[in-house]
Amino acid sequence: MSENKKSFLKKIKGVFEPLLFSREYLKNKKWVIYLIIGFAVLSTATRLLVPIIIGAIIDSLELKNFNAIYLEIEYILILAVLSALASFVVNFGAQYSSQIYAYNLRKKVVNSMVKKKTKFFQDKTSGDLLSRTTMDIDASRNFIMNSLSQLIPTILIIIFAVGYLFYINMFYSIFFLATVPVLIFIGIKFQRKQRPHWMKIRDTYGVMTESIQEDITGQRTVRSYLQEEPQIDKFTGITDTYYGEYLEVANLRGFYNNLMPFIISAAATAVIFYGGYTSIVARSEVGGLVAAVNIFTMVTFPVSFLGRLIAFSENARAGIGRIKGVLDRDMDEDVLTGGDFPGSNAISLRNVKYKRGDREILKNVDMEIPSESFVCLTGETGAGKSSLVNLIPRLEDPAEGEILIGGVNVRDIPLSSLRKNIAIVPQEISLLSGTISENIIFGRKNITEEMAKKAAKVARIDDFIEGLPEGYSTIIGERGITLSGGQRQRVALARAIASNPKILILDDATSSVDPETELAIFSRIRKNIAGITVILVSLRYSAMKYASTVYELENGEICELENIDGLNYAMEKEGFENEADL
Amino acid sequence: MKQTYEEVEETYIKTLKGRTALKRLIKDMAKNRKQTAILIASVMITAIAATFSPLAIGGAVNGVASRSFSTIFDFSLLFISLALIQFGSNRFRVISSTILAQGTVKNLRDRSFQSIQHVPISFFSKVKAGFLISRMTNDGETLGEFLTFQIPSVVSGMTTVILSIAIMLYLDFDLTLYALIVLPFLSIFTISLQGKVRKNYLRTRRTIAAITGNLAENISSIRSIKAFNVESYTEDKFDGLNADNLNANIKASRLSSLYGAIVRIIEYTGIAIVVLAGAIELKAGLISIGILVAFIFYVQEFFDPVIQLSQLYNSYQSSIVGVGRIYGIIDSKKEVVSDGQITISSLRDSIVLKNVSFSYDDSNALRDINLTIRKGENIGIVGHTGAGKTTLSNLIMKFYVPQKGEILVDGKNIMDINTESYRNLISPVLQEPFLFHGSIYENVKIADPAMAEEEIERLAKEFNLNRIFDKLPEGMETNVGELGRNLSEGQKQAIAILRALCRNPQIIIMDEPTSNIDPYSEKFIFQSLEKFAREKTLILITHRFSMISLVDKIVVIQDGSIVESGTFPELREKKGIFSQMYDILYGSKGEGID
Ligand SMILES: Nc1ncnc2c1ncn2[C@@H]1O[C@H](COP(=O)(O)OP(=O)(O)OP(=O)(O)O)[C@@H](O)[C@H]1O
Ligand SMILES: Nc1ncnc2c1ncn2[C@@H]1O[C@H](COP(=O)(O)OP(=O)(O)OP(=O)(O)O)[C@@H](O)[C@H]1O
Ligand SMILES: [Mg+2]
Ligand SMILES: [Mg+2]
Repeated sequence: MSENKKSFLKKIKGVFEPLLFSREYLKNKKWVIYLIIGFAVLSTATRLLVPIIIGAIIDSLELKNFNAIYLEIEYILILAVLSALASFVVNFGAQYSSQIYAYNLRKKVVNSMVKKKTKFFQDKTSGDLLSRTTMDIDASRNFIMNSLSQLIPTILIIIFAVGYLFYINMFYSIFFLATVPVLIFIGIKFQRKQRPHWMKIRDTYGVMTESIQEDITGQRTVRSYLQEEPQIDKFTGITDTYYGEYLEVANLRGFYNNLMPFIISAAATAVIFYGGYTSIVARSEVGGLVAAVNIFTMVTFPVSFLGRLIAFSENARAGIGRIKGVLDRDMDEDVLTGGDFPGSNAISLRNVKYKRGDREILKNVDMEIPSESFVCLTGETGAGKSSLVNLIPRLEDPAEGEILIGGVNVRDIPLSSLRKNIAIVPQEISLLSGTISENIIFGRKNITEEMAKKAAKVARIDDFIEGLPEGYSTIIGERGITLSGGQRQRVALARAIASNPKILILDDATSSVDPETELAIFSRIRKNIAGITVILVSLRYSAMKYASTVYELENGEICELENIDGLNYAMEKEGFENEADL
Repeated sequence: MKQTYEEVEETYIKTLKGRTALKRLIKDMAKNRKQTAILIASVMITAIAATFSPLAIGGAVNGVASRSFSTIFDFSLLFISLALIQFGSNRFRVISSTILAQGTVKNLRDRSFQSIQHVPISFFSKVKAGFLISRMTNDGETLGEFLTFQIPSVVSGMTTVILSIAIMLYLDFDLTLYALIVLPFLSIFTISLQGKVRKNYLRTRRTIAAITGNLAENISSIRSIKAFNVESYTEDKFDGLNADNLNANIKASRLSSLYGAIVRIIEYTGIAIVVLAGAIELKAGLISIGILVAFIFYVQEFFDPVIQLSQLYNSYQSSIVGVGRIYGIIDSKKEVVSDGQITISSLRDSIVLKNVSFSYDDSNALRDINLTIRKGENIGIVGHTGAGKTTLSNLIMKFYVPQKGEILVDGKNIMDINTESYRNLISPVLQEPFLFHGSIYENVKIADPAMAEEEIERLAKEFNLNRIFDKLPEGMETNVGELGRNLSEGQKQAIAILRALCRNPQIIIMDEPTSNIDPYSEKFIFQSLEKFAREKTLILITHRFSMISLVDKIVVIQDGSIVESGTFPELREKKGIFSQMYDILYGSKGEGID
């Protein structure tokens, strides 16, 4: 019994869960909330006073007491001003605090998102994360706004009505009280049934965002493979689901939400019937009966509003559930403070094992890369080269073994200083919309325009940039779409070089650059950046020739090649030479 | 001079003006006649039932007065029946308004999505994906919410206003005029604010789009953000946009709350005017007290929905701005190339580029290109980075239209050829492979949905691509992740190659198809391709000269012009640019280059 009662209360509390959730984000705005509450009372009072004054006016009209009427008109005007003030404070206050809530929450969501391990992003799509930071937040914002601006007046009106009912007739109020458990029961049922639909709605919204993003990114593929129709069908399928879920909610709303005012009307009928009967028997006045029935009519709207609030609340809760998935701290990177980047740039990997899920990518990697050397890592497609180099700036962590820089375990170097000193040019370039120089500087405060230009020179992209009408301030499209493949790679390269890193990792960073330019870049890196250790992941013979040591990754293990002709697989050169003498 | 992304966006996607947008929206919604009729009918039934309810109460009260149990019973029954009718009609109202609202939003979203499939490719290098996403999702959602929850209020509000005015006119003409006196003020006030309100909401929509655009990019580049340790910069930049959005919203809601407050004053003033005028008329004996009392009652009935409607005015404005932005996507200019009349089912003779020049905006990318690609010919295109190789392939695939010169396919201008039928002949391997979320099979199947999985596996073997997929524990069932993120770059390229070959096209355009594939695998792939390509027309863009064994002719592009062309021995002989590039790759160690 008491168990039941508890879960009962919990369910009611559940409706207001988003409000509890919002407290943290409105910490400094408590005064606004108090202000809203205060003025909501005033607003309700003015609303209740209007009929009273009108009643008085009608009395005065009947008595032809015109002086009183003028006075009462003045009251109405005063009331107008008060009511306007109250409505301003309540509405603006509610909007203001709900916006502050959204702002703070969004900030927190984004800040915790960027602190997540890269692993966090692997099974999530960016469209989905995007919807979590926009519409999911808005769903709860909307509920908070509606509650703040209307909950208090609604409840006050109900309280007032019931109080008045008690005042005129104790007995009639029992009829009203009898409806309360029924209403709550309906409300809970309504809430429970909507739940899965709102969750589906919020998830589908994420899928919808994702599919638009995917389609835009892949437009060229879509068009060349005539995928327009299949893509449209797929998207329509998603919007169908979305629409379908809203219809389910509408069906529930249509029934339960309208059942609530109907219950009130049923109680009113009982009052009419019973009250009429007793009035006849007792030969009493009917005034009380009329007033009581009117009060019942008066509360139907507030009650149905509360029902609607349940719908908003479920939407908000479904959104908050998704947001919490981002706010959880368990996937955070361990950012150490203190400690410095070691003086030497020698890198050693000892017994490094790396897994993706159950799959062992690196079995047992041992490498000693001397300080200030230029080494090359090669291996077949999918051998794990990228996985390996990503371990060094700790974009991922090995399952076993250790990675040392200058004898210090990378885990003991604070992430920020580790990553400041190691620059990596990833295989998949990610340029951002903005100017070229913004892309090179990439928000790092210690990099000046001069350094950016110097880096561009080393990356051998300076001539191209300077040839553009706007030079370094040329705006490039999203993902660098207005640049050629090789230009994109070289801008990314300039970005990495600009900070004068101690260790530079080039993950096949010149694959789209012609060999001539490529070799020129390597030689410039060597000449222009003092004391740098370069790890080059490359598949090209010409590039390998440039390195002092070539490591080959095979079956998750490393073998060092004394000279590149000893490569385990047939070289590009060989592959070509056989055919060249056509 | 320099345009921001927002300005560029505005030039590519026009936002419809409020009234135009509204008209179109109403037209679109009214297309669903049945639901519109149900909605209006249910609102009216509710309104009528609501008007009769007090009568039922009155009847019951009379029953008490006349001491008739049966009258009380009858009227109680009437009262509960009316409530039941309202329950039923409200139910219909909720459902039909949702169908209308969400159906309209769905329809707008679907049409925007369709429109995106047909805008010129250049559109995507101008407009940020996040901006489009925001219009389709955020703006659509605002509209959906407004329509779902507010259409019934709008319809019933308007019904009540009209009914009350009619009754008021019936009761007393002069007093009605007094009651309506405030309406012009309300209208003028509303209209005078309109521009500002609209601007405010436009700003809220733009700032949320900016947030979406920023996040869409940041989430995609999260690895670089981490690698370069610029999390706090990213946070700060986002915070700026977030704050802009906050300010825009606060500003908009301040004005809207102020508007609501002033409307309140106007309402009460309206009532006061009626009371005053009524009192004066009463004093002069022009009106009976009974009518005046009834009139005052109806004035309140009239003002209630007026107030309600004006409170909605703000969410209305916000949605209408949003809807204008969605129509902007739907209306955006479509690819001019899609209206060619001639459909072709095969390449019979050749693709000829005649004096073709092309520039993106104002930067010249190709100049006076003359190139003939015969059917069955295999052509290699080489050149330094940024020379214009990809651009050339873009023109051949009709992604862009040359500003000068023409491209002839079997002697017909490419512009007169139906794009779909033409693209159906070509399989491209793009420089940047693109994969859909899904398995490798699914990604290949877009080339030919009917293809059996065994067949795909067979072809993978035939082209020696299977060695690359065999390493994956789940083989071709592997889910590649968003944009193929669960695979290595070389694996992605291998899928793109397999996809192109599975389509068994007549023309293959490969743009650096193996830049991330190891030479050993590459060699096998090309060996198997040799036979295949002999029957096809192949355009191969490459920096890897190992592939040159595949081609009959090599074309060298430099700075947008063709500078050399010929067979491999011819070009070697010539000792020009090609020869130089070749030597760097295979000759000396490349020292001394700078
Ligand atoms: N995010 C991921 N989730 C699951 N598996 C992955 C993921 N990224 C890579 N893999 C798998 O790990 C293996 C090693 O990938 P990695 O990217 O390190 O290869 P690579 O040597 O760099 O190859 P390439 O030369 O093609 O770039 C591949 O077989 C790949 O399928
Ligand atoms: N969408 C675009 N908008 C504006 N300029 C562009 C666009 N795409 C390419 N360009 C410019 O046109 C020129 C030719 O580019 P293209 O992509 O054809 O070069 P590419 O020969 O393929 O080079 P790479 O070998 O580096 O891929 C480059 O200078 C590039 O900056
Ligand atoms: Mg890799
Ligand atoms: Mg290219």
